[in-house]
Amino acid sequence: MTKRIFKSSILASAIVLVLGMACVLGVFYQYFGGQIIGELKKEAQYLSYGVELEGEKYLEQIGDQDSRLTYIDKDGNVLYDSMADEDSMENHRDREEFQEAERNGFGQAERMSDTLSERTLYYAVRLSDDSVLRVSSTQDSVLALTVQLIPPALGILAVLIILAGIFASRMASHIVGPINSLDLDHPEENEIYEEVAPLLSKIHRQSGQIRQQLEEARRNQEEFGIITENMQEGLLVIDAYTMILSGNSSVWRMFRVWEPKIGESVYSLDRTENFRRLIEQVLEGEHGSTLLRIDNEYINLIANPVSRDGKTVGAVLVLMNETEKVERENLRREFSANVSHELKTPLTSISGYAEIIQGGLVKDEDIKKFSGRIYKEAQRLIQLVEDTIKISQLDEGENPYEWEDTDVYAVAKDVCGHLKDVAWKKNVHLFIEGRKTDCRTVRHILEEILYNLCDNGIKYNREDGTVSIHIREDGENVRILVKDNGIGIPGEDVNRVFERFYRVDKSHSREIGGTGLGLSIVKHGVTFLGGTIDLVSEVGKGTEITVILPKDGRKEA
Amino acid sequence: MATRFERQLEELHVQMITMGSLCEKVIKLSAKAIEGEDCAGQVFETDREIDAKEREIETLCMRLLLHQQPVAGDLREISAALRMISDMERIGDQAADIADLSRFIDRDDVQVPDEIKKMVEQTVHMVTESVDAFVKSDINLCRKVIADDDKVDEAFNNIKGQLAGLMHGNMDVKVGIDLLMAAKYMERIGDHAVNIAEWVEYSITGVHRNNEHQLGGN
Repeated sequence: MTKRIFKSSILASAIVLVLGMACVLGVFYQYFGGQIIGELKKEAQYLSYGVELEGEKYLEQIGDQDSRLTYIDKDGNVLYDSMADEDSMENHRDREEFQEAERNGFGQAERMSDTLSERTLYYAVRLSDDSVLRVSSTQDSVLALTVQLIPPALGILAVLIILAGIFASRMASHIVGPINSLDLDHPEENEIYEEVAPLLSKIHRQSGQIRQQLEEARRNQEEFGIITENMQEGLLVIDAYTMILSGNSSVWRMFRVWEPKIGESVYSLDRTENFRRLIEQVLEGEHGSTLLRIDNEYINLIANPVSRDGKTVGAVLVLMNETEKVERENLRREFSANVSHELKTPLTSISGYAEIIQGGLVKDEDIKKFSGRIYKEAQRLIQLVEDTIKISQLDEGENPYEWEDTDVYAVAKDVCGHLKDVAWKKNVHLFIEGRKTDCRTVRHILEEILYNLCDNGIKYNREDGTVSIHIREDGENVRILVKDNGIGIPGEDVNRVFERFYRVDKSHSREIGGTGLGLSIVKHGVTFLGGTIDLVSEVGKGTEITVILPKDGRKEA
Repeated sequence: MATRFERQLEELHVQMITMGSLCEKVIKLSAKAIEGEDCAGQVFETDREIDAKEREIETLCMRLLLHQQPVAGDLREISAALRMISDMERIGDQAADIADLSRFIDRDDVQVPDEIKKMVEQTVHMVTESVDAFVKSDINLCRKVIADDDKVDEAFNNIKGQLAGLMHGNMDVKVGIDLLMAAKYMERIGDHAVNIAEWVEYSITGVHRNNEHQLGGN
């Protein structure tokens, strides 16, 4: 803008200058012409007096003069000329100024030279004897004058144009200055040319709109961010070239990367065949899902293509951690398989014995023995079903158990009472250490826990062993330690004894009895009561199981 | 907006990851083959896939070099990729060789020594880590892979000794030689994993360790 203003003003001044100079030149030329004529006229009149008195000789006396003097007789013959030889000059009768002087007493004329570079002004006066005195002066023509004047004029013009340029640039920046220093953030607060005001108010309106839209976009983004960041599920958006466009923190957590991988290929997260196949499939525009295994986690990956104008431009991937679900499913499947197996074994025996008896192949005295076995197997079956029911109840966690203030010592004492006979039979010494300790818990489950622990302690013990229960208060918790000096559990099995139907010694389980669900029930029970369980064991020396229950279990449960 | 060149570079990256994961797959399969699983067919199939991938990546690299005339880091990445794919291709071939060998080992007679199983595990791990190093541009992982090679070499020497002892005893010499060769191939695969790691290191730092010490090629 500054440039434009500068250009136009300097152009305007240049045109004005040139035109002005031309006009001045023209005016001066005319003026000087007039002046010269006036001078010639005066000169002619002065001279005419002299010539009237002295004739031709007067002219010769005057001699050298600026102007050319010509004396012509009434027939047009040149009698005298101050610049040329009069004899060689032609007759001047037909000259304009001569004829005019003959007519009017005086005459004037001007003629251009052949080259147009000069013009000659003539003034003629008729004398009393009808001869004519002509005075003439030669002046440069406009053209010549112009040509002569060009160098100085150009000089002046240049100086003036430079000056004009300086002024023009000053002016331009003066005009543009306020526009440049406009505060566009607050367009309405500017005080400037009124022509700009509508523009400013428009800018003001639009900047308001832009701010609003930006704010809205930011809020949307923030909302989206909050939603995705707080999702447990991973959300991943990729483009058609497998580049990651966005992803939430769950994704990075699931793939074990510690910084967002936005802008990289999705294959940098996982490059297993499953994953690649799915990505390829989804980028061809087909939905799909697969189960990925990352370390020890199962991730269900659902992929949806994103299409625009019938072309797949990317994909949205949703990742769900289904480790728990898959594991629980596995556990359940295993459990059902185990239960069926465990149920089948006693039933096969029962059916076998019954079949033999039915066949009448058994001696009478053996029938008692056989029915005893059938009874034992049926008991085992009942116990197994009972245990299964218990564990399913704990699993479901739906039964409305009654939470009450319970004396742990009393419960332990009851349990010992129940197990006294069993312990005596196996010659195992069973005792309790501690005192009345109150705990808000579910009595029935606590009983189950202690019963199973002690029962195990007795079952897996040796002749003349001991099983002891130690009850101690420990701040907010009750610490129950069940200790035996029995056969112990080998190190590799310690972590597995809490699994359902897991048996350390698979071959002898029948003799010892039990369902393999005991410790599993204990573990579930403790978890249900909001406690923790810890097992330390050494083969041949014994096992120590510590159960820590909160005194006010309800709160945490 | 990504330029065409950047797109092609990214495509190269993706293809490299794919080829790397094919290498992981093939070596895991060949490890299973040594253990006695019948998966030689899958190994050969994957080896063919790797060969095809090599040609594809080679073409892509050439196109990038000729059309885009890359400089500095980009040029390094492309030249490193060209070297890496030939190492990956060798891994595929050697895995195929292992699978081929293991078809002729009579499972009823021979117990594959635990040392070999351990070595196979280590090599698989090295290949996985070298591909990981490429994917993550992780220079520390590169150095770990390069350092791990010593373990595999040592394992190979142990196996050599052990097999010599066994063959001296009651092991069928033919089987012994087969196992030795399988171990040797595994050891070579480890070397290729090191090469890959070195090229990854080169593409990150711009210095190849063999040139750094003026030791000449390996």
